[in-house]
Amino acid sequence: MAGTPEQTTVNQVAKLARIHLDEQQIESSAEKLAQILGYIGQLDEVELPEDITPFFGAIESVNAIRGDQLQTSVSRKEILDNAPDSDGEFYLVPPVF
Amino acid sequence: MTLSALNADVIVDQLNAGELKATDCVQYFLDRIQTHDAELNAFVSISQTALEQAEAIDQRRKAGQTVGCLAGLPIAIKDGICVSGQPTTAGSKMLEKFTPPYDATIVERLKSADAIIIGKTNMDEFAMGSSTENSFFGPTSNPWATDRVPGGSSGGSAACVAGRLAPVAIGSDTGGSIRQPASFCGITGLKPTYGSVSRYGLIAFASSLDQIGPMTRTAKESALLMSVIAGFDPRDSTSSKEQITDCLSGLETPLNGIRIGVCRNQFNDGLDQEVETKINEATSVFKLLGAEIKEIELPHSQYAVAAYYVIAPCEASSNLARYDGVRYTFRAPGNDLEEMYRNTRGQGFGNEVKQRIMLGTYALSSGYYEAYYLKASKVRRMIKQDYDDAFQKVDLILGPTTPTPAFKLGEHAEDPLAMYLADVYTVSANLAGIPAISVPVGQSKNGLPIGLQLQGRAFEENTLLRAAHQFQNVTPWHDTSPSQPWRTQT
Repeated sequence: MAGTPEQTTVNQVAKLARIHLDEQQIESSAEKLAQILGYIGQLDEVELPEDITPFFGAIESVNAIRGDQLQTSVSRKEILDNAPDSDGEFYLVPPVF
Repeated sequence: MTLSALNADVIVDQLNAGELKATDCVQYFLDRIQTHDAELNAFVSISQTALEQAEAIDQRRKAGQTVGCLAGLPIAIKDGICVSGQPTTAGSKMLEKFTPPYDATIVERLKSADAIIIGKTNMDEFAMGSSTENSFFGPTSNPWATDRVPGGSSGGSAACVAGRLAPVAIGSDTGGSIRQPASFCGITGLKPTYGSVSRYGLIAFASSLDQIGPMTRTAKESALLMSVIAGFDPRDSTSSKEQITDCLSGLETPLNGIRIGVCRNQFNDGLDQEVETKINEATSVFKLLGAEIKEIELPHSQYAVAAYYVIAPCEASSNLARYDGVRYTFRAPGNDLEEMYRNTRGQGFGNEVKQRIMLGTYALSSGYYEAYYLKASKVRRMIKQDYDDAFQKVDLILGPTTPTPAFKLGEHAEDPLAMYLADVYTVSANLAGIPAISVPVGQSKNGLPIGLQLQGRAFEENTLLRAAHQFQNVTPWHDTSPSQPWRTQT
């Protein structure tokens, strides 16, 4: 199992997750992550057969496909009603750079 | 007998017989919410149209028109499930102002059966928690002892049924979020087989684990709700075409010859003595009902919580990426797009949600995938194989739902691990995708409910519900209610 994260790593993870954390939150997050990762470390004890396949989905099924038929869906207006900012046609966001 | 003492099936019978009007029924429960919910905080929002809908059903009945099988029955829905035109927050500031433009499939099915949604219930934010303390809208209290948690994450649904603010409710269960609060509040809660109930319109937490199910006083009521909400849905790609067997018709079949497994290594140091005693007493009742009790082993179940706390946060970190300040109502300002994302997610999510997204992002980040997600998914295979082996020998597996009765509000606030261990007996069923039910089996000396969990083979909800119903036919616990003012006689 990988080691426990340093505060610099926590900073990097917060960046990847696009979550702003202040200094105090970084510190507390590092502590809690270390505690949980310590607990998760017990997975190393499990003797896994060489040929075991991971189980990713609770029920293993084949691809779910359906006919390509036109259906009515929720209107653009109803969807944009939940947007924090829009011009009635598109979502509006701050400048990318 | 007052309405709050009646089970949902009896309420529906009385409505059908014309002995009760839907408007009176809905008004009764709205009044109870009005009077008592300030103390419980079980509801996040109340329907403004419930009485109108009840009026329409009364009119249709009066005119001799056909009505649905739940016509006029009030029902509460967990606030992580979309109801068109009704605020749906998932207990988060991020969705405080979100109003879905569509119904979840289960809501559509309940509406087609003419059930009346009276309100949306409180929950841990994005279903992450075991106490309903992680809600942006404040904690919910347990009606059995208001200084204690109702469990979580479907704590509002459990508390409103136990406090009789609604006859029945719907919850969702990712690692125990229906069964653990059902156990803490002394009600019956069923997590169905993964894929048997559509997740379309359920705000996603961990998509390979999430499942919607009924939270009711009796197993018979749960069977009634399953008969409406279960079934294939083309809008959920994980919805199964394999249909669960009719849950209602077999309820009265005796348990003679049914084989029930007990896994003794679950009765360990972490299990409260009073809980153990009640589970043993309940086991004797199943024996009297004709069940054969056999010892079984689930050697990898001890690793279930560890595997779960890798898999669920990984899936959550991906699912919750959509809350970026662009589409879902809440946005915190920023000078550029990325700063806006970071501020929105920093301010819109609560601490536990941020913590789990961080954990999932870390475990999925470059170089760690094999050590965490892949390894946990291999252990998940071992856990599933243990069940496959056990279900060769037995039809059901019996054990405690939770290690202890309800804990105090704030008790585990600073210790996430202690909180996570409240799910030690429930997470395995989610990892394996099998159905499981919690039924009340008595109370501790200080009057707190204790729950027993039955787990069954995939798509055999009928066997779980039948066993629970037969147990409830000969025991009083599902009919025992908390003290004033929740007691059903008031």
